[in-house]
Amino acid sequence: MRQITYHIHRFNDGKSFVQTYTFDYEEDRTILWGLQKIKETQDPTLTFVAACRSAVCGACSVKVNGQAMLGCESKIDDVTARFGSDEIEIAPIGNFRVIRDLVVDWEAKVDRLKTVAPWIHLKQDVEDENGVIRQSAADFKKFVMGTECILCGCCASECNKLTAGQDDFLEPYVYTKANRFVLDSRDGNKMAHVKPSYENGIWNCVHCMNCISRCPKHIKPMHDIANLRKEATQAGFENKGTRHAKAFKDDLKATGRLNEVSMSLKSDGIVDSAKQAVYATRLMLHSKINPLELVIPHKPVKGIDGVRKIIKKAEEAGK
Amino acid sequence: MEQYDVLIVGSGGAGMRAALEVGRRDGLKVALITKIFPTRSATAMAQGGVNGCLNNVASEDTIETHTFDTVKGSDYLGDQDAIEFFCQRCPEGILEMDHMGAPFSRTEEGKIAQRNFGGQSYPRTCYSADKTGHVILHTTYEQCLKEGVHFLQEWYLLDLVKVDGKIGGAVVWNMKEGRVETIKAKAIVLSTGGAGRIFWIRTTNPFLSTGDGMAAAFRAGCALKDMEMVQFHPTGLGKTGILMSEAVRGEGGYLLNKDGERFMKRYAPNKMELASRDVVAKAIEIEIAEGRGFGSGLDAYVVADLRHLGKEVIVEKLHGIRDLAITFEHKDPLIEPIPIRPTCHYIMGGIDVVDYKTSATIVPGLFSSGEASCVSIHGANRLGGNSLADGVVFGKVSGAGAADYAEANEQVNCDAELQEAAKNWETRFVEVTQRKTGRPVTEIRDEMANTMWHKVGIFRDEKGMIEALAEIERLQEEYKTCFVGDTSREYNMAFVNYIEVGSMLTVAKTVIMGALYRKESRGAHVREDYPNRDDEHFLNHSLVSLNANGQYELSERPVVFTKYEPQERTY
Amino acid sequence: MKYAFFPGCVLESAAKEDYLATVAVAQKLGIELIELPGWTCCGASHVQDIEPAVTLATNARNIALAEEMNLDILTVCNTCTLMLREAKHEIDENEATKTQVNACLAEADMEYKGTSDITHLLWVLIRDYGLDKLKEQVVKPLTGLRVAEYYGCHILRPQEEMGFEDFQLPTSLADIISAIGATPIDFSRKLDCCGFHAVYPAHDSVMRMTGSINQDAVNEGADCVVTPCPLCQMQLDMFQKEAKAVVNGTGDMPILHMSQLIGLALGIAPKDMGMPHRHLTSTAALEKFI
Repeated sequence: MRQITYHIHRFNDGKSFVQTYTFDYEEDRTILWGLQKIKETQDPTLTFVAACRSAVCGACSVKVNGQAMLGCESKIDDVTARFGSDEIEIAPIGNFRVIRDLVVDWEAKVDRLKTVAPWIHLKQDVEDENGVIRQSAADFKKFVMGTECILCGCCASECNKLTAGQDDFLEPYVYTKANRFVLDSRDGNKMAHVKPSYENGIWNCVHCMNCISRCPKHIKPMHDIANLRKEATQAGFENKGTRHAKAFKDDLKATGRLNEVSMSLKSDGIVDSAKQAVYATRLMLHSKINPLELVIPHKPVKGIDGVRKIIKKAEEAGK
Repeated sequence: MEQYDVLIVGSGGAGMRAALEVGRRDGLKVALITKIFPTRSATAMAQGGVNGCLNNVASEDTIETHTFDTVKGSDYLGDQDAIEFFCQRCPEGILEMDHMGAPFSRTEEGKIAQRNFGGQSYPRTCYSADKTGHVILHTTYEQCLKEGVHFLQEWYLLDLVKVDGKIGGAVVWNMKEGRVETIKAKAIVLSTGGAGRIFWIRTTNPFLSTGDGMAAAFRAGCALKDMEMVQFHPTGLGKTGILMSEAVRGEGGYLLNKDGERFMKRYAPNKMELASRDVVAKAIEIEIAEGRGFGSGLDAYVVADLRHLGKEVIVEKLHGIRDLAITFEHKDPLIEPIPIRPTCHYIMGGIDVVDYKTSATIVPGLFSSGEASCVSIHGANRLGGNSLADGVVFGKVSGAGAADYAEANEQVNCDAELQEAAKNWETRFVEVTQRKTGRPVTEIRDEMANTMWHKVGIFRDEKGMIEALAEIERLQEEYKTCFVGDTSREYNMAFVNYIEVGSMLTVAKTVIMGALYRKESRGAHVREDYPNRDDEHFLNHSLVSLNANGQYELSERPVVFTKYEPQERTY
Repeated sequence: MKYAFFPGCVLESAAKEDYLATVAVAQKLGIELIELPGWTCCGASHVQDIEPAVTLATNARNIALAEEMNLDILTVCNTCTLMLREAKHEIDENEATKTQVNACLAEADMEYKGTSDITHLLWVLIRDYGLDKLKEQVVKPLTGLRVAEYYGCHILRPQEEMGFEDFQLPTSLADIISAIGATPIDFSRKLDCCGFHAVYPAHDSVMRMTGSINQDAVNEGADCVVTPCPLCQMQLDMFQKEAKAVVNGTGDMPILHMSQLIGLALGIAPKDMGMPHRHLTSTAALEKFI
């Protein structure tokens, strides 16, 4: 009889440990089904949360072989085939406080969600003469993707930035929520969402693409972060991140290629760049940078006129 | 000990709407307790839409037509004054949702789009693609965050506490800390949702739908009304019972038997697939029983064919349904028909609301709204799109009702009673969780589900139901000494699940009693021994209450009629 | 085998060693690389964030340049690969987008047709060149060299843009390492992010990320880290000292670009690939494996 084995990362009474369970294989079953089977027939103390079992409520997210997914949607057959093993490692999702076994603390994350004022700020003149709100089908399409979010936390689980530090960054789904309102034509106060996003880490995203890779609803939180960055930059907010991005754009227009030395200076600013003097010297000694690049301008690429015309046209289109 | 003016129990569409309503009143302290993070509630699963006469698509629609459709849909068991009140308030409820930012799909003119739905005379079901419930739930939650509603998350209702017949408060299990909490409140609103899990896996409902509020209200002296009225949604996915929204039919899908026949023409020649749910569910079960289904036994099914609708409709309007079919049934509606079979979806019955204008129950200070309640606006069969509307409308009504009550009444002095109840529950927790022997409570649950599905399901008869009653009563006895198996205090889901089974057994028994009482077939309640509707004897609501001796007692109350005389119900 | 070569900005400057190594390796293997005339910076995901329309157009131009040469684009940088592939994907998916982009390109008398693909040397060696053939070209098998295979986010994710292999279970880099005689260690952090793209605004977190990767490579017994991306290489090498201090690191870890490691096995002299001079962390220790 084929057997499936779960190695489950448990936590209870302050103790972390891995417990192994084995059960009979059945065709076409989900990871969640396996957990329930264990709880009901082997160990009633195994603790996890589940509700809808149809991938709309977000309750059952767990880490399967190191990556977060919805337990109710993930088929044991798919996991065993993909990883080539009937042994599966199950753990609670990452970057959340674990309460017990696979249960994490969502209540603790609510204040972080509130940071971006995640509710509509209705435009003043949004109603027609009959007091009815109008929104075109095209405008509806613009933001509806962000409303698919079920707050499952998979995006946050493998977020490399959150893992390295949560004080200066929010969960990717928070930025998705913020952008959902920024893109909603009925919302008249973009800055209510953009400003707190800017102040709470949108420029700290490392672009690791894990959020996009994990979202069971195919939302792309990193693209939401990108749009918030765009809005913040256009609104005139400035920091190392905006300066860094602008430096790239300037170089693209000027020569078509990056001038790293000046870019570094532009991003960091004079003071911080000066602090890096020792480091910069090291770089120079290893021929990584050429200080002359600061004074002698890079040669523009062949066809730079065309490039600049293209950029100009694209800028107009982007408005 | 916590103290509030109003306590809301349940964080679905109705509960959170009620909390918002109370929160907007100056000077009232409100808290909402929920056994799970709010956006996990069953409301999130509702796909199809929310009804209201907005005339955005059908200018001929009227509130009166919505009223009549609902009355007829209820197979004349709904209280017509309550239904009129409800339909009048649906449009403003929906427009309010829009103002709260709910992302509705739009017409060409930018108004909220409306579509056809089962049993509706005109397209009046407002929607957001096929995740209307999800967006309403999240929008309401966003508003609660905005208004600063006080959530007591993972606090699970154990019992209501009364003094001299009036509500004084509740004892609650704090799931994270693992201890009993006491809450004093002037008014309590129970919006704890349905109880489809009495059929365990044969339901569209989430694991949460265990009738906790219904059972607590029952213990506190409320009747449970029309409990026999259990809606079996016609289109649950064949393998898992997961809901395939009525939008499948609303957008024009066909139901086919194994001969490729659109069999609804034999049951509802005019409305075909868009007949109301009970008609379609019965039709499917008859097709299967008479050998025209695919497969056999409990695995039998018919199919929903959407291929002729085209890529644009399926991908744009039904992408959630498509995802479900592909993920959970391994079939893509773009290229093949989807196996479906009826599954328990909704309970029209529930906590007896005696005043629809305030959502009050018979217990002073106790209110109820949403699926947990029975007003009755759905009668013997609920129309698709009316449940989200129910939550939106009566969520507000119950919040206002509770707030008015709290403003007009003093807090009942119940410190001693609360402490006593808390102590008893604490003792019970220790005793139950430390048991080393007994029948596993999950086995009791599975046996209950089996009995309910086979003997109190889509087709019922006297003999089967009497057996079922005896079985449930036996299970209630076994429950008293059952084995739970987790002694930890921290997040003890085994203990919570144990209480849920107790709630379900209570609810199950009332369902059987109501079904035994009703010697006719009406709406979702079908009796093979009484296949016809009996308007002479049964234009009454069934009521099951707990008497002074702790026994379940049956009574009845006449349905309220205003304008609509019962007619033969055909589609 | 002939490709339009897109070096990417850092290969011209801070990661020049990778340019030298790539060109030398391609020559040895008989892969013809013709540099795209007048290619421009891919945007590096930074311009994409603030002015997506601009990078969509300039990257369409890059692809159009290759189309004019009737060749696919070959890169050796993860982010360049992802940016170009994303641009292509977005344009190919949507007629309206294509029309808009071509309106911009028309300003320079150019047109995006969609006939060129974008690939990375890593994929080319496995899919088009062949590991067996690569093995035959090895003159100095790197026997005994323990290598931490470090992919770098953008060669794997998002799966729908890159799609060469399972983004959770990649094997390409390990396969290359084995083919040239070295030993991949099944590095525990092979899928982690180095943090390069936020090193300015999120400095502290990124130092922690960089430091952890390098330290775990030390802990797991690697002689060096190899990556298909010059940005990851720069991040792990140039910031290694500072990051090491942040995580209380215990060892130094040479960081090589894939082209350099292959080059060593093909008999190309380290100094011809900027080793060890252009590395902040010495690569001298690797010489004993050649």
